[in-house]
Amino acid sequence: MKFSINWLQEYVDTGELTPEALADHLTMLGLEVDSVDQLFPELENLLAVKVVSVEPHPDADKLRLCEVDTGQETLTIVCGAPNVRAGLITAFAPVGTVMPGGMKIKASKVRGIKSFGMLCSESELGLSESHDGIMELPADTEHGQPLLKVLGMDDLVVEVDLTPNRPDCASVIGIAREVAGITRTPLTRPVEEAELEHNATHFKVDVENNELCPRYTAKLIQGVKIGPSPWWLRKRLLSIGLRPINNVVDITNFVMMEYGQPLHAFDYDKIAGKQIMVRNPLPNETSFTTLDGEKRDIDNQMLMICDAEKPIAVAGVMGGLNSEVTEETTDILLESACFNPISVRKTARKLNLGSEASYRFERGVDPGGCVIVLERAASLLCEIAGGTAATGGADYFGGVRPLNSQTLRISRTASLLGIDLDYEKMADLLQSIGMRCKPKDDDTLWVNPPTFRVDIEREVDLVEEIARLVGYNNIPTSLPTVHLSYPAKDSKREIRAILSTLLADTGFTEAINYSFVTEKHADMMQLDVDDSRRTLVHLLNPLSEEQSVMRSMLLPGLLENLKRNSNFQKNAVKLFEIGKVFTPQGENEQPIETERLTCILSGRRAGECSPLYTDDKGVDIFDAKGMAELLLETLRLQGCNAKDSVTFRSPEGDECETFAETSQCLIIDSSKGIVGQLAKMQPGIARNFGIKAEVYFIDLDFDILCSLDAAEKNFQTLHVFPAIKRDIALLVPAATKAGDLLKTVQTSKEKFIETCEIFDVYQGKPLAEGMKSVAVSVTYRSPTKTLTEKNVNKSHNKLINLLTSKFNGSLREG
Amino acid sequence: MEQELNSLQALAGESLQSVSSNEQLEEFRIKFLGRKGEFTSIMKGLGKVPKDDKPRLGQMANAIKKEIESLYSEKRAALMATSTGAGSDSTIDLTLPGRKPETGKLHPVTQIMNEVCSIFESLGFSVAEGPDVEHDHYNFEALNIPAHHPARDMHDTFYVSDSILLRTHTSPMQARIMETQQPPLRVIAPGKVYRCDSDITHTPMFHQVEGFLVDKDVSFADLKGVLTIFTQKMFKKDLDLRFRPSFFPFTEPSAEVDIACVMCGGSGCRVCKRTGWLEILGAGMIDPEVFKMVGYDPEVYSGFAFGLGIERIAMLKYGIDDIRLYYENDLRFLSQF
Repeated sequence: MKFSINWLQEYVDTGELTPEALADHLTMLGLEVDSVDQLFPELENLLAVKVVSVEPHPDADKLRLCEVDTGQETLTIVCGAPNVRAGLITAFAPVGTVMPGGMKIKASKVRGIKSFGMLCSESELGLSESHDGIMELPADTEHGQPLLKVLGMDDLVVEVDLTPNRPDCASVIGIAREVAGITRTPLTRPVEEAELEHNATHFKVDVENNELCPRYTAKLIQGVKIGPSPWWLRKRLLSIGLRPINNVVDITNFVMMEYGQPLHAFDYDKIAGKQIMVRNPLPNETSFTTLDGEKRDIDNQMLMICDAEKPIAVAGVMGGLNSEVTEETTDILLESACFNPISVRKTARKLNLGSEASYRFERGVDPGGCVIVLERAASLLCEIAGGTAATGGADYFGGVRPLNSQTLRISRTASLLGIDLDYEKMADLLQSIGMRCKPKDDDTLWVNPPTFRVDIEREVDLVEEIARLVGYNNIPTSLPTVHLSYPAKDSKREIRAILSTLLADTGFTEAINYSFVTEKHADMMQLDVDDSRRTLVHLLNPLSEEQSVMRSMLLPGLLENLKRNSNFQKNAVKLFEIGKVFTPQGENEQPIETERLTCILSGRRAGECSPLYTDDKGVDIFDAKGMAELLLETLRLQGCNAKDSVTFRSPEGDECETFAETSQCLIIDSSKGIVGQLAKMQPGIARNFGIKAEVYFIDLDFDILCSLDAAEKNFQTLHVFPAIKRDIALLVPAATKAGDLLKTVQTSKEKFIETCEIFDVYQGKPLAEGMKSVAVSVTYRSPTKTLTEKNVNKSHNKLINLLTSKFNGSLREG
Repeated sequence: MEQELNSLQALAGESLQSVSSNEQLEEFRIKFLGRKGEFTSIMKGLGKVPKDDKPRLGQMANAIKKEIESLYSEKRAALMATSTGAGSDSTIDLTLPGRKPETGKLHPVTQIMNEVCSIFESLGFSVAEGPDVEHDHYNFEALNIPAHHPARDMHDTFYVSDSILLRTHTSPMQARIMETQQPPLRVIAPGKVYRCDSDITHTPMFHQVEGFLVDKDVSFADLKGVLTIFTQKMFKKDLDLRFRPSFFPFTEPSAEVDIACVMCGGSGCRVCKRTGWLEILGAGMIDPEVFKMVGYDPEVYSGFAFGLGIERIAMLKYGIDDIRLYYENDLRFLSQF
């Protein structure tokens, strides 16, 4: 909602208030001021000047040389306008002015004669469509003054961001009413009260459904002459960004902006049967051409204004081309009505057609104001367009509800707001904005809100008015008194926090990607045709194909992030994301939302660490495995006798993701099902995302992970006796799994074995083809004594025999 | 014994002359002063000397031990001085970078989210999370936004079907929680929300934290108190803040909370659109209609609710000027926070 300060001041005295203070007051009343701007700032440098003399241009028939008095100096201007003449007061753009269209005025030669500026037409100034020559200002205009001042446009335009509950403020008078409440000065309206004698002399009105059209008033104005509006009227419209059209249209627009009541002007001669019927379309009425020339489909739910034969307007939304006011129109039927907000909203939505009128009807117009506004517009039509108002008119008000009277409990209001206000003060505040109050009992007021406050329906609406009028900042602050309780903790949130922190502390950066992605991801990841992740939740109204389905996996997003980072020469990328993926259910059912934790690793292992101390080796599958191990150990799901211990194993069947390398893939399994997998991405898949580097990933079902039972922390007695370490270098067939060797040692029954680890794996010369050397270090310890060489030798020899026989190997010599 | 002590003292003095490293010094200490060292073995003889001589020999032994100890300390100090002193090992260049372990970062949205949640958790609020894909009922109807209400214009909604949508705010959790729990309630609900809007200040997905408190005798003044605490903790300064009337269908009275612009301090700049204020929170007293829909008696209970945008707070705290950066996951951006 826009208004100008000068316009506002026609209805209320703003007194000492500066525009800034006024804006601040309005904002604090809930009418948030978005901006306060100079009107037409681009016309600031223009002057009203007097043409002193006009001479023909020596070298051009259509151009004239003008001597122009700017009040300061006399300048020579070359001008081609037909209406330029000595004595004319007109608009002048001096050298250096940037015109609304962006053109900069320079002192330049026109056909050999230097011109020091430009005389301007209204269209060049953006003030009208008129190209009929340069602007003609009244002869008594004082020249040398700034043009804006002369035009009465040295004004400020204020834009208010209206909330949907305040349609009464979608008008300059509505704003003025609030200002009057602030300044406690009276509000003056051009028409305060009006009566309309109901008759059917010139036309009849039938309203089919009171619910859809609670009130319909109309009046005939005869003998109207269509033409341009006077400047004062055009100025008002221009100040709020509306384009003047002709006097009739301008008046209906002006009065709508003034009072907030939309009006419509029909060409009376085009109304068949001189009858207005407010009804839904008949079965054969399926399309309708609106004022903007668009032919639109209509349905039987839409409310139409019809004459005896056909629809002539979409009620509350837009008029029809078939009853439009044109240059030839002489008699006008003026409509001022009240339509059902929901009905107008549905219709405007279906037609995809919003207007200033529908905006107001959707939010609710004042059912008590129709006749007043009709009278205001009628009198302007008579005054400006030379019309004569026919006596009386139509006024149907069958759907207007009786006055809505509310009670307001003083003590309840005070306790809800936490303020201390008495009876008189509350009544005084409400009365300042036009609510009538009378006492009901000691603690209760009867309040009658004015008809334009369609938002006041309940006691709490009045409580809000009290809060607003007291000023939110004048309400004290306090803290609630509450019963102490220990808020329940969501273990999933805690695990998320632990793992996020761990990942970030170990070199992974958290990514957050959009939940909606392109459908193409499924193909880019080469998912199987029957992969459930190809079944997606589709948005009905996506912003683009790129964001049209809810994601079923996190990896594609992370791959896109990797690509973006590699574009910017990041050669080490470790990212993780914890987020939801979506599996569709029935059409009107919510999809299943599950959470995943996905990490990707690519590029230099040492990341950003100084090359001084690190090498440029890239990450490999063991970085992924190690990170997964660390995550699981941190959650006490691995390496600590957890009940739901998580293990890594080779994929079976089709467990390995289609986008992973089967030879470098581990399934992360638990007693509650597969938690996820870690693997190397197939290079072809990475290339689908524009990535050339090797990519490794860990992809976990976060919900399963969180459901696993972690091992309790359990103290183990510290060792007192020293350990003895023995190394074994085993020569085994190359296919032997190191893990099996370790497991054999760990599960062997030999005495005193505490731990064992692999410290070297070697294949190649001088070893025989098909063989490898695995070096295992075994630690022996006894909890009860210091072990002797003899104790250990016995066990160790047996262990060597076990390993060599089981794995078909031998001790490596030397 | 006296002789033994004297010669030990002499020997110690001599030995120390040739000590030139910490290792040698340690050998010296073990040899002369250690538990099994020379001095100790001489002192074992003290038991066998005549009783009359004991005090004198004891004193003498102590003096000699102290003497050796102080010689040892001097030598150690001297060695320390030469090893750290200039010229001892000038090849170490300490201006070289440290061997810093590599670390990553949490997303700035997560960081701010954690901060917001922890402030409210400290005030005794519990945290609840809800679905991103919501029923129209919880997103709108249960929050007093019936179909065809103009307030729906404030939410550019992504639809999945007629009745299923991407939640446009975290407020549905108000209805979901109140439906299943009885007051008193103190809950915050963080999460992702979606609106079909995309430009330099809007992304189609962003994060919100919804919060509400329901009990007997909760007032608008309480709402102001709690949000004042939050704002001051969040922005760490004694920032000016103001509450101004607004409209949300699920609260009445409704308020928006502005803080003095953190960029210009309130004098007016581009970020605050020259108003000196920045909007950071929407709030209000829970509308009686919302209570009625979940079966609470609005005559008995009252409460307040609030919602805030995480990205906006991060923008203000960190001075981020383009909201789209949040979801590009560019490490040059993420590593800054």
